[in-house]
Amino acid sequence: MLLYTIKRLLQGIITVWFIATATFFAMHNVPGDPLINDRAMTATTRANLEAKYGLDQPVVTQYVIYLRNLVQGDFGISFTQENREVNDIIREHFPVSAILGILAVMFATVGGVLFGALTAIYRNRLPDYVIMFVVILSISVPSFVIAALSQLSLVSLNNVVGRTVLPVAGWGTIQHMLVPAMVLGLGTMAYLTRLMRSSMLEIISSDFVRTAKSKGVPPARIFARHQLRNAIMPVITVLGPAIAAITTGGFVVELVFAIPGLGRYFVQAVQQLDYTVIMGTTVFYGAFLVFMVIVVDVLYGFIDPRVRME
Amino acid sequence: MSETALAKDTAPVLLEVENLAVEFDTYGGIVKAVRGVDFKVDHGETLAIVGESGCGKSVTVQAMMGLIPMPPGRITSGSARLRGSEVLGRNRLNSKEIRGAEIGMIFQDPMTSLNPTMTIGDQIAEPLQVHKGYSYRQAFNEAIRLLGISKIPEAARRAKQYPFEFSGGMLQRAMIAMAISCKPSILIADEPTTALDVTIQAQILDLMQDLQKETGMAIILITHDLGVVARMADEVAVMYAGKIVEHGSVDDVFYRSAHPYTLGLKKAMPTNDPSLQHKLLPIEGSPPDLFAPPPGCGYCARCPYAMQLCNVRHPDDFFLKETHFSRCWLHHADSPNKPQELYFRDKE
Amino acid sequence: MSDIAPIDFAPLIEQQEAHGLSRPSLSYWQDAWIRLKANKRALVSLYLVIGLLLFTLAGPLIWRVDSAIQDLDQVSQPPGTNRSALVVDDYKPWFGDQFLAGAGLRLAEEATSQAVRVQWDALPGASGHRVYRNLFPVGEERAYGIPLAEFFDVNTLHFEDRLDLKRGRYYYSVVALGDRGELLDNFEMIEVDVQRVTTIAEALERGLVDDGSELLVGDQIDLSWHPLGTDYLGRDMLARLMAGAQVSLFIGIGAPFLFVLFGVVFGSMAGFIGGKTDQLMMRFADFVVALPFLLFMILFKIAFGIGPGESGVFPMLVALVLLAWPATARLVRGQILQIREQGYIHASQLLGAKTSYLILRHMIPNTLGVVLVTITFAIPSAIFTEAFLSFIGMGVAPPTPSWGSMSNEGIKTMLITPHELIFPALFISITVLAFNLLGDGLRDALDARMRNTE
Repeated sequence: MLLYTIKRLLQGIITVWFIATATFFAMHNVPGDPLINDRAMTATTRANLEAKYGLDQPVVTQYVIYLRNLVQGDFGISFTQENREVNDIIREHFPVSAILGILAVMFATVGGVLFGALTAIYRNRLPDYVIMFVVILSISVPSFVIAALSQLSLVSLNNVVGRTVLPVAGWGTIQHMLVPAMVLGLGTMAYLTRLMRSSMLEIISSDFVRTAKSKGVPPARIFARHQLRNAIMPVITVLGPAIAAITTGGFVVELVFAIPGLGRYFVQAVQQLDYTVIMGTTVFYGAFLVFMVIVVDVLYGFIDPRVRME
Repeated sequence: MSETALAKDTAPVLLEVENLAVEFDTYGGIVKAVRGVDFKVDHGETLAIVGESGCGKSVTVQAMMGLIPMPPGRITSGSARLRGSEVLGRNRLNSKEIRGAEIGMIFQDPMTSLNPTMTIGDQIAEPLQVHKGYSYRQAFNEAIRLLGISKIPEAARRAKQYPFEFSGGMLQRAMIAMAISCKPSILIADEPTTALDVTIQAQILDLMQDLQKETGMAIILITHDLGVVARMADEVAVMYAGKIVEHGSVDDVFYRSAHPYTLGLKKAMPTNDPSLQHKLLPIEGSPPDLFAPPPGCGYCARCPYAMQLCNVRHPDDFFLKETHFSRCWLHHADSPNKPQELYFRDKE
Repeated sequence: MSDIAPIDFAPLIEQQEAHGLSRPSLSYWQDAWIRLKANKRALVSLYLVIGLLLFTLAGPLIWRVDSAIQDLDQVSQPPGTNRSALVVDDYKPWFGDQFLAGAGLRLAEEATSQAVRVQWDALPGASGHRVYRNLFPVGEERAYGIPLAEFFDVNTLHFEDRLDLKRGRYYYSVVALGDRGELLDNFEMIEVDVQRVTTIAEALERGLVDDGSELLVGDQIDLSWHPLGTDYLGRDMLARLMAGAQVSLFIGIGAPFLFVLFGVVFGSMAGFIGGKTDQLMMRFADFVVALPFLLFMILFKIAFGIGPGESGVFPMLVALVLLAWPATARLVRGQILQIREQGYIHASQLLGAKTSYLILRHMIPNTLGVVLVTITFAIPSAIFTEAFLSFIGMGVAPPTPSWGSMSNEGIKTMLITPHELIFPALFISITVLAFNLLGDGLRDALDARMRNTE
């Protein structure tokens, strides 16, 4: 298990290197000189940047400088905000995104497992139809529409009650986080519900559940001890990619609900063509996601005895 | 059958199944998988139900245990009485005392029939906790003892392992330990050796026989292997296309076969007796479509002795002796054809 | 048993006809098609998809309205609004010189979408006035609306508003200003119903009438018809939805076809060659999978750059293909490896089949089902990606419409004119829904057959 973890971590580091390289060459390919194009840049910034990144030197040298900086954990200085380090930006805005993401992942997982199990048990009966209708709906409606609609309903909710029950936008308290996290987790929840449903249906008709029935185990105990644990396995395997989807999906929610997260900052940087921020954020997000996938995989090993033994 | 039932004493038989019929709704229509099956079994007896794949033998016992999913499955008629009281159609709460407690069951594929994420010991302990109210500790210790009885070495260590760490034969032993944990009066073995190596098959069958001698439980053995039948059974019911076509003691069915299908099965079975050596003969054709079961004998289309009557009318029960009957028109008094290889009543 | 005649015991000769398997055997695709047809949801989705394709391809031939033309008289009009307009004279300047009877804030003449002309009497204690316009009456909180003009003397007591006037009700206020230009408490407000008007010249220019000579001032005419209303620039929603469908479905269907094709080629090559090459190729695919998808979509979009006048559809297509192929490649490789070990392939090889025959006869037909299902599920996610990117302003460049960019524009005014958001969002949702359900149906239909053969 330890060996497996170390192997995965090494693979992860190579993957991050690949992400960093792809980012560098993608951004290097941008037409025109990034320093000339930018109106927001002052002469000081420009001088700093040229010296720092060896912009007058060949691509390979720039790439080496870039990698060396990355290894030292230095993502560089913002192009548009003088003397603001990308590290500071990430440090300041990422926790917000992380809290939002964690809440959303929790909501998606708990909801997905619960609703998926329910729909499988009540297959082709009313609860199944109702939940699957909602699931299909939330898979089909774009996230920004759901975000806008939920914001709209918050406005009318507050209007009806006559005071601010839940704030419409902004960040700070748990009331601010509730609705955005739900909106953010909704799509993933729907996906997990479908996955859990089909996995649960398979388990329900599996041989070992039949064995448990033949032993006379009551249905509630069969559900808890035989069905749930086995049906949850495929849900856990996709949790890594699901976290990735939620993290990047956070852009829209952060934009609509005016949450000061890294996603909103990234979109802003993209619109202002703030190269270092774009590159830094991309590599940071990439590394974070690679790490999350590894964590989920290792975690899976602890839950599934078959993997644990290997 | 009814004559023999009257002849016995008045104490109810351990298990008596009458006229059991099961249907399934499928894409293509309704499949009549079991079309009226009767059998009974008493303490210490072994009944073998024999037939090829899809003849309804597994569905019969699973329906009785309430293990077929409903829908799409449906029991359309019949009764199953355990010591004279009805088992079918009871609500779940009551069948809890029967499943696992009165009737234990083992299945064909031990690899998939055990929960992959629960230890073997926990799975054997579970029925004890459910039926006998044992504490977890008690139940787990009992599970270790049961594993020992089932001849699993290092039972205490093995009980803490997961199914994927066991071999197929070991898993089937564990299944047996689980099935007999609450000392059931009937053990249903649904093709218990089909998925196992030949050498292990014998061990599993021996184990079952030993346990039967010790506890006096009845065994219902579902199989398509006549070798297993010959070794284990007291009584044999031969099933074809959802019906029993021949029923009798193991000697009667083997040495005085009275149905062409039984004969066909025998011819297709390899033997190590040099005097009986012959080429293995397959039964040509395939079983009838159970979406629209034939009105006559199900075996008609494949039977070398088929007559006009066989195609339109289902054969009556022809008793060769009190405990041996065959459902075949050849036994009718008016049938001109009496093939040499079949056993007839007047030959006695 | 008396009803049994001796003839009944005659041997059955036509044994084969007695009974046996009577159902005809079906090919893989026939069976799948029958299953799909039995699935009502999948069938409805299939019709929806066909309908959408018709809407996209044949729609513009029937509804021949240019999606770029602005109808400035009907801006942000929801469908079904009254579109009658009064024909009036051409605009003539007004200097507020003629004095009007009445007191307080009052209309100088009937309010039209051409101009609203107001006059007022100087407010007591005012050293100047400021004119406001609002969509709501001024209440307790003194929200006057948008300031239109400011006068720092008490002689100018008239104002002409020509700012973006629409048919509907407005509230004009005039507020007293103090010496230093500060707002005083006293104000007057009137309610103004603006009537939509047009001139003969305009009507001719827009082709609302065939011949201008018959048109007289004072006539009522109908402005051009927009079945689904107009957007915030007065462009026809239906025409824009059709044009947007072309962009969205081009990306939504074109990109999956391309990346699935690429994935199939890559995956089957890896699966076929096997060994070190396979390892290397799949490791590369793993790397590409690890790239954060949306971030790199954005990155690639920036990297490719959009020149002036370009729509940005092509860069998005390329970026999608570059990033999305590995999933299909993995799937196809797995499928190929699995098929390669199947008995029928060995049997075929023993019978002397060449590799090309194996590929054509066995590999392709047996992976086609999986590939088809993959494409069907890839379409909704590609449409979502386009919508997402357009929403954050990284998608197709305006004025090219796409459902995503239309939603993006519509969301800004969703409180006042919800139809600008609802229609494109609805189209996205219906398309995604249809392809998802169709994919479910296809998978079930093809899967069931696979399961049966076990």
